[in-house]
Amino acid sequence: MMALLLDGLIVLALVSLAVQAISGRSLFRGIIHFVVFGLTMALAWARIGAPDLAMAEAAIGAGLTGALMMVAYRRLVAQGDNHSPRAPAQKSRLAIPIAVGSGLLVGVIGLGALLADNPPGEAGLIVLETLPEYGLGNAITGVLLLFRGLDTLLEIAVLLTALLAARALAGTGDSSATARTQHPETPLVGALLAVVIPLTILVAVHLLRAGTHETGGAFQAGAVLAAAGVLLVLSGRVSRTDTAGPLVRLGILAGLSAFILIGLMPLLYGEALLTLPGMWSIYLIETAMMVSIAAALILLFADAGGLKRDRRG
Amino acid sequence: MADLGLYVFAAALLFGIGVYGLIVARHLMRKLFAINIMGNAIFILMVTAARPLDGAPDPVPQALVLTGIVIAVSATAFALALMVRLHRETGQVSLSADNESGGDDG
Amino acid sequence: MTAEALSLIVFLPLLAACVIVAAPGLSALSVRLGLIPLPLLLLAPTLEVLDQGTYRMALAGHNSPLGIEWALDPLSLLMLWLNTGITILVSLHASYGFPPASEAGRRFWPLWLILFASMNALVLSADLFNLYVTLELVTLAAIGLITVEGKPLALRAGMRYLLLALLASLLYLLGVGLLYGQTGTLDLYLIAERIEISWLPVTALSLMIVGLLIKSAIFPLHAWLPAAHGNAPGPVSAILSAVVVKVSVYMIWRLWFWTAADWDLEAVALLLGLLGGAAILYGSLAALVQVRLKMIIAYSTVAQLGYLLLVFPLAGNLAFKAAVYQMLSHGLAKAAMFLAAANILHAIGTDRLRRLAGIDQRMPLDVFALALAGVSIMGLPPSGGFLAKWLFLEAAWEQQAWGWLVLVAFGGLLAAAYLFRVLAVVCLHPRRRLGQRSRRRSPTPASWAALLLAIGAILAGFFSAPVLDLITAGLPPGLGSR
Repeated sequence: MMALLLDGLIVLALVSLAVQAISGRSLFRGIIHFVVFGLTMALAWARIGAPDLAMAEAAIGAGLTGALMMVAYRRLVAQGDNHSPRAPAQKSRLAIPIAVGSGLLVGVIGLGALLADNPPGEAGLIVLETLPEYGLGNAITGVLLLFRGLDTLLEIAVLLTALLAARALAGTGDSSATARTQHPETPLVGALLAVVIPLTILVAVHLLRAGTHETGGAFQAGAVLAAAGVLLVLSGRVSRTDTAGPLVRLGILAGLSAFILIGLMPLLYGEALLTLPGMWSIYLIETAMMVSIAAALILLFADAGGLKRDRRG
Repeated sequence: MADLGLYVFAAALLFGIGVYGLIVARHLMRKLFAINIMGNAIFILMVTAARPLDGAPDPVPQALVLTGIVIAVSATAFALALMVRLHRETGQVSLSADNESGGDDG
Repeated sequence: MTAEALSLIVFLPLLAACVIVAAPGLSALSVRLGLIPLPLLLLAPTLEVLDQGTYRMALAGHNSPLGIEWALDPLSLLMLWLNTGITILVSLHASYGFPPASEAGRRFWPLWLILFASMNALVLSADLFNLYVTLELVTLAAIGLITVEGKPLALRAGMRYLLLALLASLLYLLGVGLLYGQTGTLDLYLIAERIEISWLPVTALSLMIVGLLIKSAIFPLHAWLPAAHGNAPGPVSAILSAVVVKVSVYMIWRLWFWTAADWDLEAVALLLGLLGGAAILYGSLAALVQVRLKMIIAYSTVAQLGYLLLVFPLAGNLAFKAAVYQMLSHGLAKAAMFLAAANILHAIGTDRLRRLAGIDQRMPLDVFALALAGVSIMGLPPSGGFLAKWLFLEAAWEQQAWGWLVLVAFGGLLAAAYLFRVLAVVCLHPRRRLGQRSRRRSPTPASWAALLLAIGAILAGFFSAPVLDLITAGLPPGLGSR
């Protein structure tokens, strides 16, 4: 009974937050509602029994998407966004029927799939069966790296592509709308950062290591690491540059290139493409991916081609 | 584990809300909220559509959804950059007033 | 050999893209390394397919139902050749518009190489979810290229494309999730064996097809295409129309003729055919009233894509050959047209039709390329386009489907109308209104790239036998007998 109540509350919160995000008066509050929606989604994933998704949604879906939206909002304001549509919504007589219809369709499909008497997924059973052979405890990491590595490799390529495409749009030489605060800094910030940054890195490394046997993995770790980077950008410890230095470039590319190079290696000794040659390669690829994910997300957040340490603080 | 039927119900509602938002929202960022909300609805259905194994959800759809989440963030990040640039060039943050075939150079 | 070659076909361009980002100084070299070896790499897979028919490789040593497999059959081989051939020739053109060593080039080439690699990965994949990931990569790279110059019209078109593409991906993804729930696998051939027709898989398939129809801009879901293709940089327009929209049609074919091979869906087939017919009529009529050359070519793409859907109602040996041949020859012809249009736009400063009078004397190569490619689009003999349309007519004749026969013939007439309108202005207009704007000249190789593609579209009418044999060898199950 308690469980049902909890689930009911989560669902109610999801729906009302979604409505608020879309139709609330101010866009800024819309972003807040969207972020809280993401956090509630994380709760929902935990309830559904998918802790990895809960963590990913909290870190990536809610946290970083929210941060990116905030930054975009600030830029719009800095560019003098007074052309924003006055009314949040345009009138459309068809909107409600179409929305209700597609919601119903999705509901019927979802229920149909839930109630259908399917056998358990064969692919999933194979995962659980073969996983112990590899010494991996986390089935999802196993799927992502061992069994369906190409998906993960291409997904890193998607992130890189988004970064490159966004960079091509950013243009050069406008640092007017920076994300970092220009206020004189209180001494507390420095002390706080000195604690928070190492702690965050520690959490990221733990998540990465944990990914092989329990909840966690490169994506969650990368998102946490990105959060540390975002803090450094915000506090002005790291400043934006238009072009990336070698270290930053290496960071962006590490995940994709390490995965490709290690993935091509088995061809040399006659094994299948993307066969990972051992636990060391899993750790290596995961670490490289974590670094790349963090680097890409920080650059997207800072809207910068590169980053450098700022010595003023 | 939770009552999955309830979450399927939530997914249906969220999808409907997303579609509504996609149609009526003017501001591009709100359209992005809408698409992301629809995405979450579909992620829920992907997990609930597969039969659980030993009481826990099938790991394969979970891995697919994890990939889907990262792709959604990437696409959203690019869309936001595009929106900011569009605003810088045209002063607009919506697509309603458009004139695509005009213009001298393209 | 084949496994190594296929791996490099996908990963070499990706690595080249990485090198450009890592070391911009090496960009010219890496562009060449990422593109030029590709035709050579394709030789081993080609021999393999000619010899064995189909080649499958399980990635990471895990085959379906869990792992991802690549399947190379005659159809995917032809798609690889189409993508490689057109990308290399268009790259020749792009190396003038976006010199690899320049600032613009460093933005353009990584995305270009990623787009190329992702389309190769897409046509090889036999896994429904992997297809989703590759399709997302194709879409993001393509839109990144549309907006790479930051022109307002292109930005707006890219944004609209992106929103619709994201919506389309979600529909496709929902279908994938449902099919996994039903069958416990994502392999599109294995699903075909396991699934029984009932409302749930049919709904899943419909959702996926609707998503893909949006991505391939099939009428009435075409609204994003003309602006996006008409306002993108020249080489990007060429690759968008020639290959990018085709890969999602390719996916529809795979789903329809392979995964749902045994399903009896005649009503849906008819509906898809009607959409195709509407696309032919609407696209052609819209092309007739455009005022800009690139917009005419873009609407022509909307029309020509319609033919690719006629394969559903006319399902059969001949219609399938016709559709695949249409895909290949339209790719060549349309790439040529967009490149020629890009050269004209570059030289004249505008592509408004009324400003183009008499440019045939200044830019004979480009106008010639435009005309040659036009011959193929109109379906005049001798050209690849003619052969494709002839096969369609034959297929319709054989099945006594008079409606489709009239449609194909009429579509050719309409294409002739909108293309002769262009050629008439360019060549026959009495007034000479040149010299008012800039007098930049496009470098000759850029014109040659357009001309080579156009010649390819014509030659496709002569040297069709090996390609048609290959298509016949790779007919979908069930179509071979009819």
